[in-house]
Formats: sequence, structure tokens, C-alpha cells
Amino acid sequence: MTIPKGWVSIEVKELEDLPCLRFAEKPDRRSSWRLLKEKVVDAGICSHCGTCTICPVDLIILEDRPLDFDPKKGCMGCGVCVAVCPRYNYVPLNGPGEYTEALAGRSKRFAGQDGAMVSEFMAAALEMRLIDVALFVARDEFFRPFVVHVRSADELLDRKVTGTKYSFASVMPELHRIIKRGDRIGFVGTPCMISGLRKVQNKIPLYKKNVPLAVALFCTENFYWHQLYEFLKERGADLREAEKTDITKGNFIVTFRDGSEFSIPVKEMEEIVPEGCHVCQDFSGVEADVSIGSVGSDPGFSTVLIRTPVAKKILDFMLKKDYIETGKAKMKIVQKLCDYKIKIHPYPPKGESEESS
Amino acid sequence: MVKVVKSPKDGLIRSAAGHLRAITEVAKVVVSPGTITVHYPRERRKYPENFRGMIMFDMDECISCFRCAHICPANAIQMYPDAEGRYFPGIDYAKCIFCHFCVDSCPTAALKQSKIHDVAYRDVDSMNVSPEQMNTIPEIVREDSVTVEYDFEKDIQLVRKKEFENLLVEVEKPERPEFKAVPQYGENCIGCRLCMFSCPVNAIKSKLEETKVILETDYERCTGCGICVRICPTEVLILTPIEREGDHQ
Ligand SMILES: Cc1cc2nc3c(=O)[nH]c(=O)nc-3n(C[C@H](O)[C@H](O)[C@H](O)COP(=O)(O)OP(=O)(O)OC[C@H]3O[C@@H](n4cnc5c(N)ncnc54)[C@H](O)[C@@H]3O)c2cc1C
Ligand code: SF4
Ligand code: SF4
Ligand code: SF4
Ligand code: SF4
Ligand code: SF4
Repeated sequence: MTIPKGWVSIEVKELEDLPCLRFAEKPDRRSSWRLLKEKVVDAGICSHCGTCTICPVDLIILEDRPLDFDPKKGCMGCGVCVAVCPRYNYVPLNGPGEYTEALAGRSKRFAGQDGAMVSEFMAAALEMRLIDVALFVARDEFFRPFVVHVRSADELLDRKVTGTKYSFASVMPELHRIIKRGDRIGFVGTPCMISGLRKVQNKIPLYKKNVPLAVALFCTENFYWHQLYEFLKERGADLREAEKTDITKGNFIVTFRDGSEFSIPVKEMEEIVPEGCHVCQDFSGVEADVSIGSVGSDPGFSTVLIRTPVAKKILDFMLKKDYIETGKAKMKIVQKLCDYKIKIHPYPPKGESEESS
Repeated sequence: MVKVVKSPKDGLIRSAAGHLRAITEVAKVVVSPGTITVHYPRERRKYPENFRGMIMFDMDECISCFRCAHICPANAIQMYPDAEGRYFPGIDYAKCIFCHFCVDSCPTAALKQSKIHDVAYRDVDSMNVSPEQMNTIPEIVREDSVTVEYDFEKDIQLVRKKEFENLLVEVEKPERPEFKAVPQYGENCIGCRLCMFSCPVNAIKSKLEETKVILETDYERCTGCGICVRICPTEVLILTPIEREGDHQ
């Protein structure tokens, strides 16, 4: 056995003109994280995806508020936060993306937001032993999202684990926390989170090896939990009583445990849409292995866009086991929503281009 | 069901026999006392080799791996830096619960058990001992010349021997292949240099080349403590056993 003696870190092209930042004599207070703060967070384009929480000294804080930093921790200047941020040197992705198959699907085993196809994909991948654990977003009694590890299909019978929570969730920090364990991880997230995941995977092979499956959820916008909670409370809808939240046909609908409903047009929620979502054009999660959403199929079904061979393999397994019922996806509607998102979220943002130069 | 026990009837013969038995017993004890009291400090009980007494420390064996400090359930171990920035354990005996987890976790037997259990400190502060103090035998006054052992064979009995017991325990150096922190997955390195900053013996060096960080381990220095392995966020370094013969770099 020959023992390697030296090794070389990944390149951080983003730091090309500022290599000194990458090599402070000792952990520095004025280092690379400032780039992220200036060019992404203060520029108002941070998507709150959390990819940058890879920071090896936990200087970057992802909570239920815009991204924050704790410079007291002493930045190592590694620049990895900059290197993995999908909004640094941002080029928006959009459209329905490349896919090999589009279908509508409904799980026969689980109940979810629409057709519970996300849950079914993860359950099938667990059964096929493609992954050891799936990171899901569950909710507490305040409808506050939190991340759970799902290791077997039965855990998905809990309806607090399946279903959509319209709030930022800390899936990325959890991924970074467990990446060294050696488990193969199934990842579910909004398109911005998928972009972050792909960027970190392209830089660091460990992430590619340990995250073989990434499922994107169709997304127009997400919210900070406390803002959503307060917003709905002011209008008489108490999320503590809610059983389900949904966005259908331009309305945000809360269904309560007693069966009653509250509905408000999403247009009226403009004031609480986070800045970073305003510049996001990726509706369908073009970089995922499979993208799943509600638009484009009948009620009770999820629209599924198969993009890579691993997703196709799982789909074939589900069909063979008769776990799902399928139908036709209406790609015209998906295309319409993709175009709509580009229209309402121009980049660079309208009226800001003059200011910035 | 309750069983009623009646007290035995008093009788002259019965009480006379009882008294006689008691008198014989007293006479027996007067002639040869059968107490099982150890006359500490003039005598000392012989303790087994794995007695959990005060903990001895051999600085030359320590590789500064922090395992002892991490495992201590009472948080009694503090790591103190020496002049070269290497860290060594010191135990606060005001907190230590003598579980000897630290002794068990030490990969090099730098921490050893002893049979010393009777050290008095002037105040609470002096119970917090430094690595250097643990390197030397605690100062105790020995008045004993007899070692006592319990004999459980028939009845409990004391066996006294004119013997001065060695309270230190010799521990064999555990069989352990030499470990080194080897960059098995260099391609994952993000260049944070936490490994370099955390290494207690400065075995890792780094330099910057354009936008890459070039790192190198000096295996002559590396003690295989594993601190860099634990701290590396992307699993670049792996503690790897090294075979001594055919030691090709
Ligand atoms: C913020 C957000 C906005 C969305 N907007 C749209 C939209 O505009 N149009 C549309 O067609 N579809 C949208 N969706 C997707 C849709 O709501 C359903 O999630 C999707 O159809 C899958 O349904 P399902 O029954 O197959 O999933 P289920 O089997 O119910 O599984 C739901 C999955 O979503 C994950 N999840 C839930 N909340 C979050 C969260 N906050 N962050 C990350 N993961 C989460 C869960 O972990 C679970 O894996 C959105 C989803 C989210 C999270
Ligand atoms: S990831 Fe690296 S450069 Fe960014 S804040 Fe953390 S230590 Fe600094
Ligand atoms: S977009 Fe994501 S990676 Fe970039 S700064 Fe915001 S949270 Fe961090
Ligand atoms: S466990 Fe042993 S080698 Fe490691 S720091 Fe403690 S005394 Fe030293
Ligand atoms: S701690 Fe790991 S990632 Fe950081 S420089 Fe060292 S080997 Fe590279
Ligand atoms: S290189 Fe790593 S294992 Fe070796 S002495 Fe330094 S920190 Fe310990």
C-alpha cells in the first residue's frame, strides 16, 4: 500500500482575484463570507436554500429569518460557502427542463399533498435499497416545518410527514450534518435547494456518492414560517387548527380539522413573499432526478417528470409492484406555469438595474 | 396467609443454656478475636490490580488525542497546553467519580490506574491537578507494614502478611498498530485547513496555489491522534494503520 502524503483542495474559482482571503494566517473575521453577504444576501437574491451552511465552522446561520452570519466564529476563508451558493454569479434556470417521461401518478399506499408520489418515490427507493435514509419535512402543532429521517416505508403513513409545508425548512443543514455517516441519502426539496445540492455535488464528490436521489417539488414561492403564521392569524386563520395547507388555482387554502376552509388569493400575500423567491424562475426543478408537483394533473394525482435513469428505474419498480395508479400529465399547463414564473420573477429585477450601476 | 409465630416459652433450662453459649462466645473472642476490622493506616488492605484509585499519567505516552477528556462523564478532565501547544489531561478530583472511563479509553495506556485512594487535599482548588502533577506519585504518608487480605473460603477471615504493598500498577503497553491520518479522499477537501489548525503536533502544512490549497502531512510528526479526522467536514482524512516493515512513504 502506498500512502498518499499530500493532497489538493477543490478549486474556488469565485475567489480568483482574492486568493488572500482563502489563506488567512489565522481564522479571520473579515473573510470570504463577506462576499456572500454582499453579493447574495444584501443584494436580495438569497433563496434561503441553506447550501452555504456547509461552512465548516458553523458561521452561517439558517433560521426562520433572512440568512445571517456570526463573524465571531472566525471565518477560515475557505470560500466553500461562495463556491456552493447557487445564487453567487446567479444565472436563473427556467422552463420544464429535460425529461424522458411525463405522467400523472397516485400512490395506492400513502396519503400526501396530491398523489403522494414524492412519498412513494422515496419509499420505493428505500425498498430497492438505493438509499438508506430519506430526509423529509414534517410539521409540529404550529405547522412549523422540521426535518425528519425516514428509514422505512411505514414511517410515511404519518400524515404530518407527508404533505406540503409552505415554509423554508432546514433540509440542507441536516444533509451537511449527516453527510459523513456514509448513509445514502434521498433528498427532497424546492428547486433552489436542488440547485444548491447539484452545485455542492459538482464540487465535492462525497455528496455525489452519498446523495443518489434528488426529488424536486414544483414551486412558485415559499415563505418564512413566522410571517406566514402571523399573516394568516391576522386574517383569522389559525394554523394550529389546520390539517392541510395548499395552493390551488391562485388561492392559498387552509383546511381545518373541523372540515372548514380558509382561502385567500396568493396575489394578496405579495408582502410576505421573500426577496429571494422574487428572482427565482425555476418552477419545475430542472436539475432534479425527478420533479413532482400538483399542477398538470387531476385532483388526487401528482404530476411527475422523470429526468434521469435512476428515477426511471424507481418508476419501473413502482409499476411492477403495482404501488401506483397512473394517468396523463397535461404538460401544456406545466409549461404555462413555467412561463408565468419567468414573467412574474424577472432577473435582473425590473427597475433595479439602473440603481445598481 | 399470615403465619403466626409464637414466642418460645421461657424455661430455666433454656435460659441457662443460652447464657452458657453467650459466655463461651465471649471467652472465645477474648482468647482469639475474630473481628474483620483492618487496622488502617497501620495495616492496608490488598486491592486487586484493577482497583479504581487515583489516576497516573505518563506524558511521554500521551498522543494528545482528547479521548479521555471527551469520554469523561463527570467533565472532570481538562486539557492543558504545554509550551509547544500540545495538550495533556489534568483531572479535577473534586469532580472525578473514579469510573476510569478515561483509563479505558486511552489508546496508549498513558493513563493508568493505581491503588492509591487516600490522598487528602488542603482545599478544593488543589484537587484540580495538572498533567505534571499526575505524572508523579501523589504524596501520601504510609504507616503500614502489614497487608491484609480477606479469606472467604470458610467464614470471613483476615489473612495478615508482613508485606509492603506497591500501590502502582504496571500496565502493559496495549497492542496497537501505529496509526496515521492519511488523506484517502483528497478530492473532497474544501481547503478549510481546520485539520492544520487543530493538529496538536503541527504535522499538517499548507500552501496556496492560485485558488487551490495544497496540504501535506508529515508522518514523522503525526501521532495518529485522530483529531484532524474528526474535525474534517468532508471525510478527507482517515486514520490508517501503518505497517512498520517496508515503510515506503
Ligand atoms: C414551498 C412549496 C411550494 C410549492 N408550490 C407549488 C406550486 O406552485 N405548484 C405546484 O404544482 N406544486 C407546488 N408545490 C408542490 C406540491 O405542493 C406538492 O408538494 C407536490 O405536488 C408533491 O405532492 P405529493 O402528494 O406527491 O407529495 P407528498 O407525498 O405529500 O410529499 C411531500 C414532500 O414534500 C416535502 N416537503 C414539504 N414541505 C416542504 C418544504 N417546505 N421544503 C422542502 N420539502 C418539503 C416533504 O418532505 C415530502 O417529501 C410546492 C411545494 C412546496 C414545498
Ligand atoms: S464557509 Fe469558509 S469562507 Fe465561508 S464563512 Fe465559513 S469558513 Fe468562511
Ligand atoms: S442562496 Fe442558498 S447558498 Fe446562497 S447565500 Fe442564500 S442560503 Fe446560502
Ligand atoms: S486518551 Fe490517553 S493519549 Fe489521548 S489525550 Fe488522554 S491521556 Fe493522552
Ligand atoms: S479539514 Fe478536511 S476539508 Fe478542511 S482542509 Fe483539512 S482535509 Fe481539507
Ligand atoms: S495529523 Fe491528524 S492524526 Fe496526526 S497528529 Fe495531527 S491531528 Fe493527530
